[in-house]
Amino acid sequence: MSKYPNPKFFKMKDHMNFKLQGENLKEVGKIIVDMVKETDWPGVAANIKKDFKATKKRWKKEADLAKNMDASEWVDFLKNGEKQLGKLYQSGKMATVRREFRGVKDTAVDFYEWARMWGMLLATFSKDLVPALNGALHYRWMISYFCCHSFMDKNTLGLRGKALKMHHELIYAIFRYVAENLVFLMKADVKGGNSEELSKKVVLVDEMTMAQIMAGFPDLVGIPYQLMPVFLLSEIDQLACMPYIDAVESYGLPSDTCPVPTSESGACVIDALPHMGACFISSSMPCDGSVMASSYTSRRFKDLPTYHLAFPVRYEDESIMEEAVEDIKGCIKFIEEQTGAKWNWDAYFTAMKRFNKETQYELQKWEVNQTPYPQLIGPCYELFRKWNYEMDGGLDPRIMDTFEKVDKMMMEAYENREEPWRGKMRHRAIVWSVPAHYYANFSNWLANCWGINVLVEMESLNYTRPLETEDKEEALRDMARLYERMVMRRHTNGGYDHVLTELWRQVEIWKPDIVIMYQHVSCKNMSTLNGLFDDQAREHGVRLIWIEHDLMDPRTVSRKDMRSKVNEYMRTVMREEPLDPSLVDFEDDASW
Amino acid sequence: MKDLKYLIEFENLLDNADNDLVRQAQKDGQKAIGYTCYHMPEVLLNVDNCFSVRLRAPRSSSIDISTYYMSNYTCEFARTLLERGIEGGYQFLDGIAGVDACGAMNRCYEHMEILKINDKENFFVTHADIPYKIEDYTVRAMTKQMRLRVLDVLEEKCGADTSDDALLKAVEEHNKLCRVMTEIGDMRKKDNPPITGYEFHVLSLVSYCCPTSLILPKLEETLEEIKNRKPDPKPWYRARVAVVGSEVDDLDFTKLIEEAGAFVVADRYCYGSKPGREEIVIDKDKEILPQIVRHYMKTSECARYMSEEKVQQRRKTADYLAREYKADGIIYEQMKFCDFWAFERALASHILQQEYDWPVLSIDRPYNVRSSGQLRTRFQAFVEALEIKRIRKGKGGAA
Repeated sequence: MSKYPNPKFFKMKDHMNFKLQGENLKEVGKIIVDMVKETDWPGVAANIKKDFKATKKRWKKEADLAKNMDASEWVDFLKNGEKQLGKLYQSGKMATVRREFRGVKDTAVDFYEWARMWGMLLATFSKDLVPALNGALHYRWMISYFCCHSFMDKNTLGLRGKALKMHHELIYAIFRYVAENLVFLMKADVKGGNSEELSKKVVLVDEMTMAQIMAGFPDLVGIPYQLMPVFLLSEIDQLACMPYIDAVESYGLPSDTCPVPTSESGACVIDALPHMGACFISSSMPCDGSVMASSYTSRRFKDLPTYHLAFPVRYEDESIMEEAVEDIKGCIKFIEEQTGAKWNWDAYFTAMKRFNKETQYELQKWEVNQTPYPQLIGPCYELFRKWNYEMDGGLDPRIMDTFEKVDKMMMEAYENREEPWRGKMRHRAIVWSVPAHYYANFSNWLANCWGINVLVEMESLNYTRPLETEDKEEALRDMARLYERMVMRRHTNGGYDHVLTELWRQVEIWKPDIVIMYQHVSCKNMSTLNGLFDDQAREHGVRLIWIEHDLMDPRTVSRKDMRSKVNEYMRTVMREEPLDPSLVDFEDDASW
Repeated sequence: MKDLKYLIEFENLLDNADNDLVRQAQKDGQKAIGYTCYHMPEVLLNVDNCFSVRLRAPRSSSIDISTYYMSNYTCEFARTLLERGIEGGYQFLDGIAGVDACGAMNRCYEHMEILKINDKENFFVTHADIPYKIEDYTVRAMTKQMRLRVLDVLEEKCGADTSDDALLKAVEEHNKLCRVMTEIGDMRKKDNPPITGYEFHVLSLVSYCCPTSLILPKLEETLEEIKNRKPDPKPWYRARVAVVGSEVDDLDFTKLIEEAGAFVVADRYCYGSKPGREEIVIDKDKEILPQIVRHYMKTSECARYMSEEKVQQRRKTADYLAREYKADGIIYEQMKFCDFWAFERALASHILQQEYDWPVLSIDRPYNVRSSGQLRTRFQAFVEALEIKRIRKGKGGAA
């Protein structure tokens, strides 16, 4: 098996413009000097003093708690860890006050994974460190990736045993992909490594477009263009997309558009996207806003040849399959023309065989989660599913190991009837509509605070039919079917049946007692069905907890506001008390 | 200027979707097919015993019920149509020919189906898939959609003859209407035109909302009247503007602009005459349907077309029309909460200003502007800016 990604890509020669780097360094230096000059140092000192006092108070409180624990509580504490997770947050702080104590064994596991992640990140970046460091001086968003460990921590809060290990496996795979792609981005960027050799091998793909088409081009690198600077960033750091949104709204865009294309366009306005690549595959997916963002990218990078991959909206209608297949053929031809590479059926079929196997593993997870003993639930799984389906798409052979390991652990945990969140398995829930990026670990809070366990998200329930791996024409048709059913699009396009009636079908299958019904206020395709969801939920006797959010802009609806919706519902409608009262009301508006 | 003979009658026809002419045609056994979008070729709905009614919801007030169903951050046009449908305002229709072009309008049609806004036995709502770019294969796909989702449905539900001969007949009548509307519209190019932008807007809307066979004779008569109409000795306007952007079927919008002193010389918006009133050139030796489809795809100025040549076409058309109709500036408008036009307007209004050197007023607006004080002020300020620019230019200063 050849190595993935191709090691040659890391070794391609950089042509860094040192004069440009020097000028940028001078500018950054000036900014730092200005910041130092303008900082209210007495205020900083006062804050440090305040923090010190708060830390002292916290230590004292924790010591008092420890003192008052009896022997059985100590045993439980050492075995299962702490139970009040709200005290890890401190108002106005970006990071938590410390990492979670999960009991001796699980803390050791957690620390090992923490170190493993650091090791992987350092090893990956060291493959070409200088352009990446320069990138951090050019792009504000690069800095947010320094908090990826914090992202890992907040997604695994409260998890114990095999669930913790599984989550670490999944997030490790995602961050390996992120690190490798960050290295490529910075290496090929004109402002960074300026590696023309690598740039010619890079096909930039719209972040909402699936990766599978690149499986037929094993000699090229497909990078979801806005994934690192915009999409994933907003999950890691809730504050990161605000400058994009503000910039493009100042430019004249109304504030009611979806923050995904808004931020993508804003990133073009403030020049936050690396300048690189042989060509760009823009797409009409998943919705109206995404169609329009491509004109901003084309305008910013006039030298980047663009292909618009645009599939039929009413995808159940097989009479328009020819159009979809022709579009894929057109896209393949375009990539060949722009890069000189040739489409390779063998490579494509190999990757799709892998993808089919991965889909089988996914279905097994669903099967387990549909039982009374769900195992792999929570934010890392939710993120991994989407990433694997869209961004990885069977291309990376290493991911098969991840699937195998996780599957083995999941089946063992299932046989032992383990609980991912020990003692917190009170309610079965499914998530419908679009989750908030800035609160990617919301399902984690739901479980820890109220014992609401999210078994599956709408965005995970996509195309699961095995893709054709022998007949070439049928394979193209299957690729079209897959792309037409990408994350979000599968549900929001092609008629209400795919999202409205589909919910009641899924309720029958998963048997939740609660549906977490996100209301992404700027998502027109979903919010135009609000009334019908309500009407039909009453007819079906399904409990919907509506939670508003604005996807990437926490200023519209904060995380705290999102939590308060659940708190209110659980107390007034369900008449329940929280499992962890410390998580009911805390401040995290400024945190990552 | 003397009032146009039919102006009040036309205005009355626009007061209701099921106006007198619609009722008359239905009494004569014809079937009314509602539609909204330019992606749905109007001419196909005028085949044989069917006639098209471009849907509007005039004189609407509260849209609370549709807001309950479709939430408040969505296109007001779609919500207002749904509200009118729920109120029973589209009970007269025999069918709706929808396209899945934008999320909001598609959901509007779906609600009309689910909430059963029409209880006629054979009532139908059909949804057609529409391409995002023009390629041979997308033309083929759209042709197939128009056959399967429109013509076959008209045949089945309304008993319409959808043969090439019937299509050709519909095209010929359509072209006749286009010639009349184009000739009237071109009079707006004159320095002292015999027609106002508001009057043209009325004529344009009746041409979409009434059966062609019944409205055409009145429009022909109006054309003759305008040809012989004596304008006032001095032009009434202070500036000339082209309106560019998303759907406008609100007469008050044009009225508001003209009350501020700006003559609307060109209407490059959905429900306007550009596009919509261009003749369809047909080669009778070739299959008719693909030619009709290609015509609509090519002339469409919808922001949904994402390919580069269409993006450029939209900018060039706006520039061309403004020059051709001697506009002093461009009003770039969009319906509030429309994603397509929100992105398009923000970018194109900058480009038209910076690269094409047009003064541009960029606005988003509700479906019904009525007497919006805010918009009135913005129009007045824009007119003043155009006047100042003209004075400076006259003095040889920087424009």
